Amino acid sequence: MKQRVQPRTLIVCLSLLCLLAVWLSLALGPVSLPLFDTLRAGLRLLGLPVAGDDLQQAEMILGQIRLPRTLLGLAVGAVLALSGVAMQGLFRNPLADPGLVGVAAGAAMGAAVAIVGGSWFGGMPDVLAPYLLSLCAFIGGLGVTALVYRLGRRDGQTNVATMLLAGVAMTALGGAAVGLFSYLADDATLRTLTFWNLGSLNGASYERLWPLLMVAGGVALWLPRRARALNALLLGESEARHLGIEVERLKRELVFCTALGVGAAVAAAGLIGFIGLVVPHLVRLLAGPDHRVVLPASLLAGGVLMLFADLVARLVLAPAELPIGIVTALIGAPFFLVLLIRGRS
Amino acid sequence: MMRRPVALIALCAGLVLSTQTLAAELPQRWVSAGGALSEWVSALGGEAHLVGVDTTSQHPESLKALPSVGYQRQLSAEGILSLRPDVLVGTEEMGPPPVLAQIRKAGVRVELFSSKAELDAVDENLRHLGQLLGAEQQATALATGYRQQLDGLQAEVKQAQVGQKAPGVLLLVGHAGAKPLIAGQGTAGDWLLRQAGARNLAEHQGYKNFSSEALAALDPDVVVFSDRALADEQALQALLKENPALAASRAVREQRLVSLDPTLLVGGLGPRLPATLRTLAGAFYPAAKASFAQ
Repeated sequence: MKQRVQPRTLIVCLSLLCLLAVWLSLALGPVSLPLFDTLRAGLRLLGLPVAGDDLQQAEMILGQIRLPRTLLGLAVGAVLALSGVAMQGLFRNPLADPGLVGVAAGAAMGAAVAIVGGSWFGGMPDVLAPYLLSLCAFIGGLGVTALVYRLGRRDGQTNVATMLLAGVAMTALGGAAVGLFSYLADDATLRTLTFWNLGSLNGASYERLWPLLMVAGGVALWLPRRARALNALLLGESEARHLGIEVERLKRELVFCTALGVGAAVAAAGLIGFIGLVVPHLVRLLAGPDHRVVLPASLLAGGVLMLFADLVARLVLAPAELPIGIVTALIGAPFFLVLLIRGRS
Repeated sequence: MMRRPVALIALCAGLVLSTQTLAAELPQRWVSAGGALSEWVSALGGEAHLVGVDTTSQHPESLKALPSVGYQRQLSAEGILSLRPDVLVGTEEMGPPPVLAQIRKAGVRVELFSSKAELDAVDENLRHLGQLLGAEQQATALATGYRQQLDGLQAEVKQAQVGQKAPGVLLLVGHAGAKPLIAGQGTAGDWLLRQAGARNLAEHQGYKNFSSEALAALDPDVVVFSDRALADEQALQALLKENPALAASRAVREQRLVSLDPTLLVGGLGPRLPATLRTLAGAFYPAAKASFAQ
């Protein structure tokens, strides 16, 4: 695409879109609340002295259901998109996505262990039980990524190509493990596992939200500081080294950020595909490859896409809801194809 | 357009009146997430109270017209709240737990029931449902009748076994005949087979895939098949076409094949069960078929 959008215009537009998405996500849902009630309940939640004894229902839905869900969507979308940028920058390959270093496979493996194994062992301590799935997914994602990173290292150097292949192999291995667990699972746990693999923002609660928000905040603050280094890496590893970038450290940071971010996102919302692959692409098609723009723009665009996808997921079949992974792919893929075709002509 | 506010006012007035006059405890608007539970609610005359059901609630047929709240393990808090229920009933399979917590927080009663395939669980569930519906006597009568039916069947099965030893049976659950899963130990299907007096030839746990050779080696006397996509005769044709190994088995040679409604295999014991068990028992003990047909 020859004509690029000015970075500032893009960021401003995305910020506005993001605000719109947040507003819609708070205002729309299967329970139809009058706009005015939503506003008043929102103000009350902020602690402002707005009269309204009739607002209990609205306050509950806004504060306990829609707000945590919106925050979860924003954080998950942003983290997945940022990790996508990090991976595509690290591998210097537009096809890279956060799954490539094995985070997703590891998390899925951890989840399978928790879902299927949890039903075998039964008597979990009550404190641990609700968090077992998230914890296992997070540990699985981090563990497998650490292994992939370790496999890619030789003589103090990280060979990106080896790491990529190790990631592919570990993903296959993770797939086999998940397959084995699905074979061993009974009907009910099998369905839980299937749904978990499609992701959902359903049932978001603040207790589960805080860890993710902290990780997301950390990643969102850290990665943009490395934008220049990522730009230099685009030229090639030795070129980046000549430009004074500590390449090994950069690689380590990128892998760590991705593992941490995606691990936390997956632990909170299940496997949600596509955002990490497509959002950085979209942004690059619009604004060019400069990471100083791509990183913040992807952060915003990831959140926006996630919130819109979630709106569809919760509204289209109400009172039931669709797994969000289906929607992100359904919205994202055609949009992406259109951009690709237009960009080529 | 003018009617809507009027209807709304009438509805509100009705709600206010009903909450004042009826025993204030009884929930009026119900969401049921569990196939067998929805059937029991209907059997207790509570169908009019249902404002939403989950995807496993397929019987009676009229429930399909109600709003669907999705799969019982994947409920959505706001979706259910949008139906303004007073109570959500479901089995312990219902979830996810954070969503149930949100629903409770919104002031909706969440009542849990057992999905175990045991008569005691049915008794307890019916008692609980009866309380919630204000139909305790009806519930007791239903529970007693249910127990009698099943106990009676047991006695008849025992009697039939005097003249004929228990047949070896396989239960195949398939989708349009292809790659059927075999119901092993600990499944609802296994329970059904045993209640109807069969020996389940499958010894594994849960539902598993078998190779055609393993199928042929077990050589069942009777095959019970349960197909999610096709009905009776079509399902049978598809099953035999996809699994040629079955054709050599004694069950097929002697034409001893029975079809089973797959919705009976999920969500605990429901009211349609005794009739189905009689059909199965009749097929397992042809000599005593007349007695089971009553």
